[in-house]
Amino acid sequence: MSAEDKGLLTSKIQATEQMKQLITNYYIEAKTTRLPEGTHKPVCWITSGGPVEFLIAMDVIPVYPENHGAMCGASHIAPELAEVAENMGFSRDVCSYARLDIGAAVTKGGAIPGGLPEPDFLLCCNNICGTVIKWYEELARFFNVPLFLMDTPFIHKEKPEHATEYVKKQCLELISFLEEKTGKAFSLDRFAEVAMLSVEAVDLWKGVLKTAEHKPSPFTCFDAFIHMAPIVTLRGTQQVVDYYKLLRQEMENRIEQGISAVPEEKFRLIWDNIPIWYEMRSLGNLFAQNHACLVADTYTTAWAIDIKIDDPLTSMADAYTKVYLNISIDLMLDQLVALMEKFSADGLVMHSNRSCKPYSLGQYDLSRAITERTGKPALIIEADMTDSRVYSEAQTRERVEAFIESL
Amino acid sequence: MASDSLKRLLEKRDDPYAWARGWKERTGGKVLGFFCCLAPEEMIHAAGALPVRITGENRTISKSGAHLQSYCCSLARTGLDMALEGELSFMDGTVFVHTCDTMMRLSDIWRLNAGFAVHGDIVLPVRFEGPSAHEYAVSELSHFKRKMEESLGPIDDDALNESIKIYNKNRRLLSELYALRLENPGLVSCDEALWIVTSSALMEKSEHNAILEEILADLKSSGAGSEPDGRVRLFGIGSVMDQWDFLKMVEDVGGTIVDDDFCNGRRYFDTEAPEGIDPVESITERLWERQSCPCKHRTDRDRAVCLAGRVAESKAKGAIFWMFKFCEPHAFDYPHIKKALDDQGVPSLNLEIEQGSVSIEQLRTRVEALIETIRGS
Ligand code: SF4
Ligand code: SF4
Repeated sequence: MSAEDKGLLTSKIQATEQMKQLITNYYIEAKTTRLPEGTHKPVCWITSGGPVEFLIAMDVIPVYPENHGAMCGASHIAPELAEVAENMGFSRDVCSYARLDIGAAVTKGGAIPGGLPEPDFLLCCNNICGTVIKWYEELARFFNVPLFLMDTPFIHKEKPEHATEYVKKQCLELISFLEEKTGKAFSLDRFAEVAMLSVEAVDLWKGVLKTAEHKPSPFTCFDAFIHMAPIVTLRGTQQVVDYYKLLRQEMENRIEQGISAVPEEKFRLIWDNIPIWYEMRSLGNLFAQNHACLVADTYTTAWAIDIKIDDPLTSMADAYTKVYLNISIDLMLDQLVALMEKFSADGLVMHSNRSCKPYSLGQYDLSRAITERTGKPALIIEADMTDSRVYSEAQTRERVEAFIESL
Repeated sequence: MASDSLKRLLEKRDDPYAWARGWKERTGGKVLGFFCCLAPEEMIHAAGALPVRITGENRTISKSGAHLQSYCCSLARTGLDMALEGELSFMDGTVFVHTCDTMMRLSDIWRLNAGFAVHGDIVLPVRFEGPSAHEYAVSELSHFKRKMEESLGPIDDDALNESIKIYNKNRRLLSELYALRLENPGLVSCDEALWIVTSSALMEKSEHNAILEEILADLKSSGAGSEPDGRVRLFGIGSVMDQWDFLKMVEDVGGTIVDDDFCNGRRYFDTEAPEGIDPVESITERLWERQSCPCKHRTDRDRAVCLAGRVAESKAKGAIFWMFKFCEPHAFDYPHIKKALDDQGVPSLNLEIEQGSVSIEQLRTRVEALIETIRGS
């Protein structure tokens, strides 16, 4: 995922090296944990929106197939992995993260040499989609390991009390599950400590993202997509807190020195949906050439977890249920409008992602509503986050250029 | 020979909402549409309203294309199109059950654009196991009941118990129909049998019960002593199956679907709600015990194992997967179920279709090939 190395028009972020090291170390620990010289921690595969704090507190190594999916997408190996799953009978129309992950599991392939470290158990949280349930059911069968499903009821308008109660009870069930699988006792103190580190990291991450409110912006969302890896995979640890302090400092320095992410920023745009991983570089350049900076996005801001120290379990249950993809379109609209205003955006770019129905269905309505509410135009690009076989570069280029022209 | 009652039922196949419109004219009551068969119809019925199932239809999309991408299943796309075109204007509202990601977003889009007065959402648990999920399901269904009372008027326990009884009777009668067909599928063709089940969710339940009793009586007397006609027995797997021409074609080429896992087939009526307990508990209990659907998670029930067992019980020699293109829950389960059938020596056919562009001629060749394989083995 080192888009910086490959001749982007935008300026290179120094902290990238530290981040790469962080992620490399993390994967090394995960890959070697079962070796005699390893740390002998169990490995749990978890969904991107899952309550990882429980795993960290129990000394379990979380592994994120979605993060790996992004890596495979960025390194252009997603279609061949997806084909493995397609040949097994999985339809080309199901989420490409799931397809490529199944393909990678079967072939022990992917972006990590020898494949992802195999799971001892699985933790699936459906606050991002229903797809993950089906995907993790398949993983549970394939690896023949237990699966814990954390069921976070979707919020259409308001969240009823019984929904929070249900998620909270499942947190307790998850604790028992982990105690049984690890043979260790759960400590609420340790958990609260991890939760606080998580909150701190999330706050710092928000702080990093906030620096893009400055005109011109010191970074673009293409940078955010890359630098979000630690907040997704390692939140709840001290290293992540240290890392984001460093990154925020660098962004603040940029602002002071007047460094902008794109040359002569003229337009400020918001990105919606998961990145088109295999197109990051050329899309980044395309916007930069046209003096457009994607200053914020709905994807990296999704990690806005708010946990209260006096009642960590209830606030966890609440926070994990309220995430962006688990709320109705009208609630999403309010957040989108706020994001546009906060970052003084001139327009919205929506990636209609055929892999991700919860993210994409509703975008047509949202795009019209955004224009109504803010007076700013929205552009919709049809693509897939990792399956480049369904993507037309020429068409996208044309549409993006026409859109920027119209601004 | 189809009985008179069955004939009358079949006449409505081209205009499935005629009953609901007529009912509304006659009674002045409220009609509520719903998509998923997990909807607690009994609650709506007990409030004196008419629950009517929406299953999309074969049509070319005009208005819904502005709201749903082309990679959304045709059930949602054609259903929304019907609503936006005003074809469902006899309905007073709609109830959505959280099943898949598509349904969950469709509910939002529907509420914001289709303009019905009543809108209900039921966010059932996705885990259908464990006490916390069960408790949550009871709370959510009670919550829904209260919401419905605000729009439809009181739903008292006696009325709800009565509705449960009427619905259970319907389930019993439909089970009888399937049992008769399992004995002798030639009694009534598979397209007719599935229409009998489908029509149950399109008219007032006691009315359907009365018709069903007549049909069953006729079938029993006319079919007594007759021998099965030698059609190849097949098992159907999928969500909604309402392609009557397809089913007729299956019969034409010498096959028949003797049992199924369609949600407007066996899954609609299997398992009765226990009577004599708290009615909301009873409705929950039934959902828990029903054949599992791919949108619900249970570790203790592997769908492939269950289905392979039911295929064997039904003595089906082959299976047809009827899949809506872009339907993730079903698509994810397919390889696993197919393997279980393969292991059992049951050949199957995977038909991925979109409502509105079903080509019977193309499918005929594939169904014929399946039947030949079975006959040849
Ligand atoms: S891309 Fe969308 S459908 Fe796929 S796992 Fe992520 S949230 Fe779920
Ligand atoms: S379960 Fe499948 S067919 Fe039904 S609404 Fe969802 S995607 Fe469409």
